[in-house]
Amino acid sequence: MINVDSVHKSYDLGETSVHALRGVTFSIEKGEFVSIMGPSGSGKSTLMNIIGCLDTPSEGTYFLNQRNVGQLDEEQLAGIRNKEIGFIFQQFHLLPRSTALENVALPLKYASVQRTEQLSRAEEVLNKVGLSDRLSHKPTELSGGEQQRVAIARALVNSPSILFADEPTGNLDSKTGSEVLEIFKELNEKGQTIVVITHERDIAKQSHRTITIKDGEIESDSMN
Amino acid sequence: MIIEESVNSALDSIKTNLLRSLLTALAIIIGTAAVIAMVGIGTGAQQAIEDSISSLGAKTVSVFPGQKKKRGIRSSWVALWLNDAEALSKDSEIAWRISPEMHGNKQVKFGDKNANFSVNGVQPNFFSVNSFILTKGKLFSENDNFSRKRVAVLGNAVQEELKIPEEMLLNKEIQIGGISFKVIGFLGEKGSGGWENTDEKIYIPMMTASTRVYGRKWINTVRIQIPEGTSINKAMMSIERVLRREHDIGPGEDNDFRIIDWSQIQQIQKDATAIFTTLIAGIAGISLLVGGIGVMNIMLVSVTERTKEIGLRKALGATPRAILFQFIIEAIILCMIGGIIGALLGTFLYFLAASFSEQLPFVLPILAIFGSITFSACVGLFFGIWPAKRAARLDPAVALQYE
Ligand SMILES: Nc1ncnc2c1ncn2[C@@H]1O[C@H](COP(=O)(O)OP(=O)(O)OP(=O)(O)O)[C@@H](O)[C@H]1O
Ligand SMILES: [Mg+2]
Repeated sequence: MINVDSVHKSYDLGETSVHALRGVTFSIEKGEFVSIMGPSGSGKSTLMNIIGCLDTPSEGTYFLNQRNVGQLDEEQLAGIRNKEIGFIFQQFHLLPRSTALENVALPLKYASVQRTEQLSRAEEVLNKVGLSDRLSHKPTELSGGEQQRVAIARALVNSPSILFADEPTGNLDSKTGSEVLEIFKELNEKGQTIVVITHERDIAKQSHRTITIKDGEIESDSMN
Repeated sequence: MIIEESVNSALDSIKTNLLRSLLTALAIIIGTAAVIAMVGIGTGAQQAIEDSISSLGAKTVSVFPGQKKKRGIRSSWVALWLNDAEALSKDSEIAWRISPEMHGNKQVKFGDKNANFSVNGVQPNFFSVNSFILTKGKLFSENDNFSRKRVAVLGNAVQEELKIPEEMLLNKEIQIGGISFKVIGFLGEKGSGGWENTDEKIYIPMMTASTRVYGRKWINTVRIQIPEGTSINKAMMSIERVLRREHDIGPGEDNDFRIIDWSQIQQIQKDATAIFTTLIAGIAGISLLVGGIGVMNIMLVSVTERTKEIGLRKALGATPRAILFQFIIEAIILCMIGGIIGALLGTFLYFLAASFSEQLPFVLPILAIFGSITFSACVGLFFGIWPAKRAARLDPAVALQYE
């Protein structure tokens, strides 16, 4: 499902340039639960932006579901992000003035789904993450764990083929962090492909496979 | 779907930054208000001029005394005489109606009431030539005129000025310049036609005025009603022919009288009003454009402030076009809110002006209202495009990390 072949990414900063990825090659199959680890600045987020179609490689090829992402235009990338990918961020990134329900429905608006269906599907996924009684709460009226669950619901609402989470528990205490991890495990058991970036070895251990990155290169890639 | 989301997010953003949004829209509000008020007042004034044209009767021209010209230098004034009016009456080329006027100011007394009025000697046809309506009593006849009867017809505002009810005046004697006159009729309200108010005048027979009140045979003006089917130009040429003959003006010499075509004067007035209105509305339009630059500025701020939000929306599948749309819609809505508030304000100002002025009618300037709201939307579109393009071009990965 994901095929990354000698991907490089460098950022041009005028006089100097940062080589964030230096030839990364790996694949991820459907239904896997993969964690990516590595020290700060090693290129984890850069890698996730590329496989999440938020960014394109400077060199090398990336195939997502047999499509060469490097050759797609902005519109097509937006379509892929909307329908095939779900994102979860460390800082949640919820719209502060919208309710939980509206936040979750947002991707469906860009998919031109009917309004009534938007709301019913958003409510359904919020039920799944255990927030059926928080539909009309705004982010400021929710705890950190609840906010991250709203973000998970938003990532799931378009039934994406793959879920990307960049340090999803980084802003949560260990108890709510493990609750979030439980949701991931449950989803994975039902067949959801998941890629999680984490600093925490405990979390990485609970995934099936861990890729370790160092200085923009893969250091190790092993099953747990 | 995207439209709905764009409108909601725009309203949301405007609501959150309400004060900032209103201040930004202020120039648009002022511009639109000025356009609406000026267009309203301008068209109202034009309407008033048009009404006064029709109150004058469709086709009338006036003849006034002029100056003799000797070797290119204007010198002594040459009077118009009753004879001139008679000569015009007798000329049979055009079936016009000739109405000479002789006027001056006289002290008018009734009992202990006392006021100064313009007293006009006119012929009986004056009332129909000038489309006056009789509300009470009767008008004077040819016979009254020839026998120099001392009778008077009062304009609508005279009795008001004297503060005496009509019933008490009718068929009573009043003193005009020390001479006793019988009040025989009252005229309906006509309003002021341009610079003179015909309602504040007293009308007496021409011959009476000539022999008993003013003691002269020169007149102030002759008004001529031209029949339908005759062009004003042709009539003016006939007037010239008759009066040049009467005044003994040789070929090549200039006229010593002036002919004024009222419809033309009013056309000039209308044109002047239109030019004035367009000018002010144009200046107001410039203020709309200045407002547009303010909107562009605030939209750039908004795009920068919401970089993270834009990154998120893109990560969730918003196409560049959807983002472009969202910010253009926001700029348009911001400008349209300004336009709507401004239109209400401008209409109110015009309404206020109309209710304080007797001559200015209030006609809801619907076209101007819709026009300027549409224009302000276009201002939003025009000045919103650049900031919106910047938003649409943002790189999602970078935007998401923006602090
Ligand atoms: N937009 C950018 N422009 C320039 N350099 C960048 C940019 N994004 C990332 N980098 C650089 O690329 C390298 C990898 O960054 P990246 O964010 O992928 O690290 P990371 O592994 O996610 O670190 P962390 O664990 O702290 O999140 C870093 O040296 C970073 O400074
Ligand atoms: Mg990172």
